[in-house]
Amino acid sequence: MSSTEVEVRATAAEAKRAAERGAKSRKIAGISVSYLILIIGCCIAIFPFLYIVSLSFKESTSLVSYPPKWIPDPFYFGNYTFLLGETSYIRWAFNTFAFAGSVTALKIFFDSIAGYTFAKMDFPGKEILFTFVLATLMIPFAATLIPAFLIVKNLGMVNTYWGLILPPLASPIGIFMMRQFIESLPKDLENAARLDGCSEFYIYLRIILPNCKPALAVLGIFVFMTQWTNFIWPLVVAKADEMRVLTVGLASLKGQWVTNWGVIAAGSVMLMIPIAIVFIFFQRWFIAGSMAGALKE
Amino acid sequence: MQYSESEHKRLARAYRFKKYGVAYLFLSPNLLFFFIFLVIPFFWVLWLTFNSGGILTPTKFVGLQNWSRVLQDPTAWRSLLNTLYYMAIAIPTVFAIGMGLALLLKRTTKFVTPIRAMIYFPTLAPIVVGALLWIFVVHPDFGLFNTMLRLLGLPIVNWLGNPATALPTIASLEVWRGSGYWTVLFLAALLALPTELFDAAKIDGAGAIRRFWHLTLPLLRPTWLFAIVMATIWNFQLFDSVYILTDGGPNYSTATAVWYIYKNTFQFDKPGYGAAMSFFLLIITLVLAVVELRLMRKKA
Repeated sequence: MSSTEVEVRATAAEAKRAAERGAKSRKIAGISVSYLILIIGCCIAIFPFLYIVSLSFKESTSLVSYPPKWIPDPFYFGNYTFLLGETSYIRWAFNTFAFAGSVTALKIFFDSIAGYTFAKMDFPGKEILFTFVLATLMIPFAATLIPAFLIVKNLGMVNTYWGLILPPLASPIGIFMMRQFIESLPKDLENAARLDGCSEFYIYLRIILPNCKPALAVLGIFVFMTQWTNFIWPLVVAKADEMRVLTVGLASLKGQWVTNWGVIAAGSVMLMIPIAIVFIFFQRWFIAGSMAGALKE
Repeated sequence: MQYSESEHKRLARAYRFKKYGVAYLFLSPNLLFFFIFLVIPFFWVLWLTFNSGGILTPTKFVGLQNWSRVLQDPTAWRSLLNTLYYMAIAIPTVFAIGMGLALLLKRTTKFVTPIRAMIYFPTLAPIVVGALLWIFVVHPDFGLFNTMLRLLGLPIVNWLGNPATALPTIASLEVWRGSGYWTVLFLAALLALPTELFDAAKIDGAGAIRRFWHLTLPLLRPTWLFAIVMATIWNFQLFDSVYILTDGGPNYSTATAVWYIYKNTFQFDKPGYGAAMSFFLLIITLVLAVVELRLMRKKA
């Protein structure tokens, strides 16, 4: 073996090692860049929330200070006491929970029983009805806003809980979700019960429902969040101060000419705190719920 | 016990009748509300378009007057074009950011849950809260954007007061609030893709960009289909943030379709006029959705 040959081999091995090292360091660099971008994304997502928490503890007169004071000094609680004492904030919070909670409870019952019917029962017109339900997904709520309002008005339900609650019940997504899930349950369970002479309602209540708790939780969170964030319907149908929900009430605090920004910041913070707490504990369910629509394929 | 044939048939019919009856009974609560609040409104809105008169005043049949007036109303056209302009800014941006972040999240193995949670969190804020929050971001005096500009020594911008920047500023709110939703949705779809195909493509020497264009995107077609159609339907209904931030101004530069429907119906008391626009909105939304579905089908 000539010395040059050995040299060539040595350099080849070295080049290979170097290439491997290069690939590895490139990979590490790639992952680092990924994390960097993701962390920037997190900061952009979260920073505005922290900013209004800071603003909510400042007096409105000191909002404009420049350079900005990120940490309020001194801490000022006047915005919160004003909100709880001088506005109907507590009443709005109660209305929001009554409204979103009722829609959620009713939708869980209606959609699970309809999902069971579409998944497990045979009846004439099933396909047509299901296609109809599917098609209603395409109707934008804004398009039926005016007649929905007129119907509620003719029923004498403007500025009532009934007026708030009933129209949002006409929404199809939960039916898909529940049908999808119940279809995946084994048939043996219900068939055994059927042979024992149980009624369909008994099967639904005692066999199907206990077996779809996860789907019910996802549906519940999805419906609750949809109504909790609803704005245009409560704005139209419940304008009276004592019937407002939080979103409409908060918007009403933004005056036409003079606005107390510190109070609005405080109101937004108080609205987000319960969501943040529940979200931290039940993150998985929220994310599953937000994909409710996508699961229908 | 033996039944005669006619007796047997009668019993079978009664059994079927009861079975079908139960099925319809189970569907009845949903069907009732669908009928009252979707089917009736659908036809009622059509009927309203042929009438003038307000919510307070008696109605009068006017034929196609509302339709022709909407078609000749420059503000109605303006609000439609504004809505499309807003969608053209917001939807591609949230999809690009959502897909980008989802691809990055897929590569990482540690801290995925907290990162995903933080990126998703803005979606949980009602649009109203998002809009109020955005006031603190874009306010000319104490907003975050202008604070940053001042720190960098740049001139400040009146984001919502300028007709050129007002609508893009409202779109920026949707980008901030909506990107997390699509990130989570795309990430779930990416994680569900079969890895074998990607390994095979890697061995064949396909680079990351080619793998993305020729494997990831086509395989995600059902997700895209859903995302594009739903994003169109949702964003077409832009209202909350416009109502809070600009109320259509300045000079109608942020007037959107649903905002103008709301204004005409509930503030100018012209429900017939609003209904005609609602009907246009419905038709345009359906046409857009069907066209998108067709285009996506053909591509596959």
